[in-house]
Amino acid sequence: MPTFGALELSTVADRLATMRDLDTEAWPLPNAEILQLSFEVPRTTESLLPRAMHPAIPPYATLWVTRYPESPLGPFTLAQLRLMARAGAHPRGLILGAVASTTEAAAALRERWGLPAVPGKVTFTRRHDRIMATVVRDGVTVLDCELVDPEPISGGDVQYIHSVTLANAPLDSKTGPLLVQVDSRYTIKKAERGRPRVSILVQSGWGAGPLWPGNPIAATVTTCDTDLPRIRFVMDVETPVVRGTRRIRESRED
Amino acid sequence: MKFGLFYELSVPRPWTRESERTVYMNALEQVRLADELGFDQVWAVEHHFLEEYSHCPAPELFLTACAMITKKIRVGHGIVICVPEFNHPIKIAERTAVLDILSGGRLEVGTGRSATWTELGGFRANPDTTKKSWDEFVRCLPKMWTQETYAYDGEFWSMPERTIVPKVYQRPHPPLWVAVTTPGTELDAAERGLGSLGLVFGQFGEQEKRIAEYRRRIRNCEPVGAFVNDQVSTVNFLYCHEDDAVVRNTGRRMADTFNYLASQLISAREAFPSRSYQSLGLLPQLRRQATGPDASEQAGEGLAFGGPQRVLHALKRWEAVGVDRVNFLLNAIEVIPQADVLASLRLFAKEVMPAFADDKPASSASAASA
Repeated sequence: MPTFGALELSTVADRLATMRDLDTEAWPLPNAEILQLSFEVPRTTESLLPRAMHPAIPPYATLWVTRYPESPLGPFTLAQLRLMARAGAHPRGLILGAVASTTEAAAALRERWGLPAVPGKVTFTRRHDRIMATVVRDGVTVLDCELVDPEPISGGDVQYIHSVTLANAPLDSKTGPLLVQVDSRYTIKKAERGRPRVSILVQSGWGAGPLWPGNPIAATVTTCDTDLPRIRFVMDVETPVVRGTRRIRESRED
Repeated sequence: MKFGLFYELSVPRPWTRESERTVYMNALEQVRLADELGFDQVWAVEHHFLEEYSHCPAPELFLTACAMITKKIRVGHGIVICVPEFNHPIKIAERTAVLDILSGGRLEVGTGRSATWTELGGFRANPDTTKKSWDEFVRCLPKMWTQETYAYDGEFWSMPERTIVPKVYQRPHPPLWVAVTTPGTELDAAERGLGSLGLVFGQFGEQEKRIAEYRRRIRNCEPVGAFVNDQVSTVNFLYCHEDDAVVRNTGRRMADTFNYLASQLISAREAFPSRSYQSLGLLPQLRRQATGPDASEQAGEGLAFGGPQRVLHALKRWEAVGVDRVNFLLNAIEVIPQADVLASLRLFAKEVMPAFADDKPASSASAASA
C-alpha cells in the first residue's frame, strides 16, 4: 500500500501556528499575482510529512510567491514553501514555511488559517524575460528564485493544488495539532510558463530540514482572483486521512 | 464480445527478491489457464517508476513468455510509449516484429504517450510534444513493418534508407490501437483508423456517447496502417464467485487497492502545465473512484464483480453500449490469493463466456480492409 509520511510531531511542535478558531471568514483576494516554481526533492523529505499523508512519487515541492494588491489588511506579499503530497487520494501541498511582507498579514495568516507565517521582506519583481522573488529574514536571504523566459499559456492549463497546514487548532474543546485544509479558488486571467531556477533556499528558514531543490519541473506566473476560504476540513495528524478527516462545514458559504 | 486479461503487474511492498518474481509467475500461470479457457487476448502495459502500481517496464518480454506457454491467446503490447526518450521507433518496429514471429502472428500493438510526470520527468521527456511524437510514430510504424526498405526524416526522429528486419508475421501487419484515458483521445484513434483501447472504468452513459462518436468518425478516417481497426476495447476488474458476500469484500478490496495505488503518482497535468495534457487523465479518475462520495455506486455500476449472473448482466450492458472487447484486471498487489484468481477465471469461463460465444473469428480478423 502507499507509503506514509514519517514526521515526528515533537520536532515541529514549537513552530506550529495556533489558530483562534475554525470559523474564520473568507478573504477575497482579487488580482493576485502568483509565481509558482516546482522541483523534485529528496526522498528523505518524508520526514517532513505527517504520518496521515502520503508522499508523492517522486517527491516534489513548490515555491509560491504571491503578491496580493488588495486584501482586508491592505497589500502584502506572501512566500510559501510547500511539500507536495497526498491527503488520502487527493493531491495537497503541505505548507512547510511561509514569510509574509507585513507583520499584520503574518499574524492573521497564523491565527485564521494556521499558516506557519513569519514576517520578513518579500520581493516580487517582473522583468520582461524573468520574474524574480527574494525573501529576507533577519538580514539573511533565505530565498532567491526566478522564472526564466516566460511564455504565454492558457490559464486552463494551470492546476493549483490545495494547501494543507499543520497547526494547533481548537476542536472538541481542546487545542492541539491538526491538519487544516486551505482550499482556495482561482480564477486565472493570465498565465505564463517558464523554467524554474532557485539560487538560494536556506532550509532552516522554511522548516525544510532535508529539502533541497533537485530536478526542476516547471514554473508559472499567473494573474488571478483568489481567496483565503472558510475552513471546511481538518484532519488528524497521525491517522490516515481517509479515516481521520472531519468536515467542519458543508460548503465555503456556510 | 471478446474477453482478455490486462496486466499492470503491481507488486506489494516490501519488495523482496522473490516478490516481483512471484507476481510475474502468478500472472503467467493465469495467462496459461486463460488460454486453455478460451480467453482471446492478454495485454501488458509499459510503465516505468510506478512503485507498487506497475512493475512492468518491458511488456514485450513478459508477452514473449506468454506466447511461449500458450497456443491461441493473442498478446497485446499495451501500450508502447511513442515518445523518443522512451522508445526509438526502429526498436519498436523490430521488437514487435520479433514478438509477432515468436507468437505466430498473435500480436496486437497499443500505442500511447504516457500521462504521468513520474514517467515523463524520469526520462526527461517534454510533455508539450508527446502527442506530436505519438502521431509521428504511429504513422511510421506500419510502413516500417511492411515496406521493403524505409527512410524517414521527421520532427522527432529520422533514418537513412535501410531494410528493417525482421518483418511482422501477420499480413498486412498486427492491429494497431491507441490507449484512451482522456476524453477526446478516442477521436484521435478514429481519425487514424486505430482501435480504441480504453483504460478507464467509465460509466455506461458516458462510454456510450464516446463510442458512438468514435464509430461515426472512423467511417471517414484516413488510416495510418494498411487496414482500419474499428474495435472498441475497455478495461474492467474481474472477480467471479458464487458467494456475493465474498465478492463484495474481495472484489471491492481489489478495486479500491488498485485505484488507491495510483494516488501517489503524479499526473502530467498536476506538475507540468501544458496544453498537451488538458484533461486530468487516468490517475485523478482512479482517485475519484477510490474516494469519491458516491464511489461505491458509480464504480460498481459496470464492474465484473459478483456471481455469474451479475457479471453476465454487467458485461451484456457493456456489449449493448458498443464495446467489442473487455480486458480484465485480475488482481492488485496480490490482495486476492492466486488460487482464488484462478477459480474466478474458471467460473467466469464456465458460466459467463458461453453467453457471448459467437462465430466471429478472433480480434484482428474482424478489421475491415482499408
